Amino acid sequence: MRFRASITNIHTFTKFTASLATLGHIAWVRLDEKDVRFTVIPENGSQVWSVLAKDAVFDTYTIQSAAPGNTINLEVPLAPLQRALKSAQNGTAANIRLTKKDNIPLLSLTITTSTMNNPVPHGTQNDTGVEEFREESVDFFGSRQDRETVVTQDVPIRVLAPASVQGIHEPVCREPDVHIVLPNLMQLKSISDRFTRLASSSKSKSGFGAGSSGPKLELSGNMHGCLRLSLSTDAMRIKSLWTGLENPELDPDHVSQGEDGLANHPSTRMKAMGDETGETDEGWATVRVEGKDWGRVLSVGRLGGRVIACFCHDHALILYVFLNGEGPGEGESVLTYYISSYSA
Amino acid sequence: MANSQPLFTAVSSSARQLILLLRCISFAKKVQVRISLDGLHFTTDQGSVMEAFVVLEKALFTSYTYNHPAPPSSQDDPLPQPVFEVSLSSLLETLSIFSLYDPATIKRPSGDPSFDAFGAHRLHRHAGFDPFSARSLGMTGTCTFTYDGDGSPLRIHMAESGVTTSCDLTTYEAASTDPIPFRRDALALKTIMRSTYLLDAIVELASLTPTELTINAFPQSRRQHGTSALSISASGALGSVSVSFSAPSSPSNGAATTADPPILETFQCHNSTRARFSFSALQAAQRAMGAATKVSLRIDEAGVLSLQFLVEIEPVSNAGGALSIGNEKVAFVDFRVVSLVDDEYAEEEDSGGSSTADD
Repeated sequence: MRFRASITNIHTFTKFTASLATLGHIAWVRLDEKDVRFTVIPENGSQVWSVLAKDAVFDTYTIQSAAPGNTINLEVPLAPLQRALKSAQNGTAANIRLTKKDNIPLLSLTITTSTMNNPVPHGTQNDTGVEEFREESVDFFGSRQDRETVVTQDVPIRVLAPASVQGIHEPVCREPDVHIVLPNLMQLKSISDRFTRLASSSKSKSGFGAGSSGPKLELSGNMHGCLRLSLSTDAMRIKSLWTGLENPELDPDHVSQGEDGLANHPSTRMKAMGDETGETDEGWATVRVEGKDWGRVLSVGRLGGRVIACFCHDHALILYVFLNGEGPGEGESVLTYYISSYSA
Repeated sequence: MANSQPLFTAVSSSARQLILLLRCISFAKKVQVRISLDGLHFTTDQGSVMEAFVVLEKALFTSYTYNHPAPPSSQDDPLPQPVFEVSLSSLLETLSIFSLYDPATIKRPSGDPSFDAFGAHRLHRHAGFDPFSARSLGMTGTCTFTYDGDGSPLRIHMAESGVTTSCDLTTYEAASTDPIPFRRDALALKTIMRSTYLLDAIVELASLTPTELTINAFPQSRRQHGTSALSISASGALGSVSVSFSAPSSPSNGAATTADPPILETFQCHNSTRARFSFSALQAAQRAMGAATKVSLRIDEAGVLSLQFLVEIEPVSNAGGALSIGNEKVAFVDFRVVSLVDDEYAEEEDSGGSSTADD
């Protein structure tokens, strides 16, 4: 079983890992010839299934496995991986490979940092003494410009047998009622977090916010570019409304039964209701999310991708986060968040 | 009242100003709001021991409409002004909902082809100077208050770059508490100082976690040279602290230094005054002490303490040239505290015996 790759996009990979780490401690990583899949299924809260095209973060990607489909399944703790990537932030190159040390399987990151940007501007000084010293030191230490430091970070992992991951399936959801492009996630997060704070500060004894699972926010979308976030407590009712968002057109090729399926699609029916101002009560698909969990999901905003939210009324919310720099078609990197709705 | 116009609407172009003032009195859970023709009166209280109030004057709002309902017939007394209570924390959180969100730091979505790193850098760097940014156009933090009479919620509506937030604050029937009477015509002590001095003194005293504090004031005539005019002292399990303030030199006493501005800008006291107050009440005013520039501390003959804070409000926008420059508005935040009843009240007692920490 072999796996080796160089990491070309350390920043994206770091932010990606950080976003996953907010939801859970352990990720199931599936490597194959085409892509890298990271899945986090926490005990409670939202799950994320992500597919990274191998060129999105890796280069010179080699994989060799006895398992069918040339697949390797790993269980990777996210915090150590995050730490390892952090030390690669200023590196010039980073490699990752699967290895074994003392019979413990490891993901080993080899990070090369050069001291080139060391602020030692000796040459600019006119002082001849310094200049001489510099030349001597170049002889002694080797050229300062070319000095490299190699750091190795080992992340202990577990290799999963194909049989043990066979039973893990991506959640299946009915066709969504509303799909909408979300506004900037950082803005949405800052407002959502404030709502969560409001809910916990007013501590209503009944309705929303009851119980130990924390306050619930109500999130709704319609097929006319409106997104609504609302909260009701004893002390107040507050809602934020975004208008003028985009409802992407469905591709008939991707809907079951093609054009007919599209005509009967729930979103087509939802389109007949509601309006662009979002003032009516009709045409909204609503889910209730747990405020803190929702805030953690929204931290994926740091990746800066385009986000499409699919609302299944009263049932679930699915977020598709498309990462930067990918054209349509194959090789797309997508994070899919499954957020189930709480009952009112 | 079947007319479509709401009873009350006000638009503020700067939620930050309102937050600044309302934070000063944010020690209680609920705040009483009274709408009058000249402003919004906010009152909070702690039992009946202490109350604080701030008036958001009409001038703080860009538009202020209060349609005072006419009495049913001309013989009737005018209808009372609308009074209600709302949750103060909810009000403050609502007003600051957009303050965390800084448009300059937000990246554009990736779908925008015109976005590039250099452009982002430029945007970021010149964010403060962009003449068309929402900030310099005065668009940030604009909020509208609406209230439509008994039983209806206080509605706050805010808009910012594509998002509108509206909040209905449940209004509660106001508990009818009479304001703490304060006799301006019968003052035992009146002094004005920079509010940071008072804040420093309270912070100093807070280290003892006392339950009460004593204010002592000595009139000019009774003081020997060098003794303090005003002292604030408290004692706790670990000891006692007394912070003393010296009075400004009177014109007749020419020996005093003129280099330092006096700590107490005004000091009027005719008889030795001593009064005890709950320390927590004074601590509740800490936020106001931090926000204000000056404080007028008065005690009337019944022992009621009045702290009046002068808060300078920054102009709405620094970019708009049309705005009056150098004409910053001021607002007042008032605290009134009832003194604790002293069993062995001794009028003539002096402050000997306690260790002093001079300010």
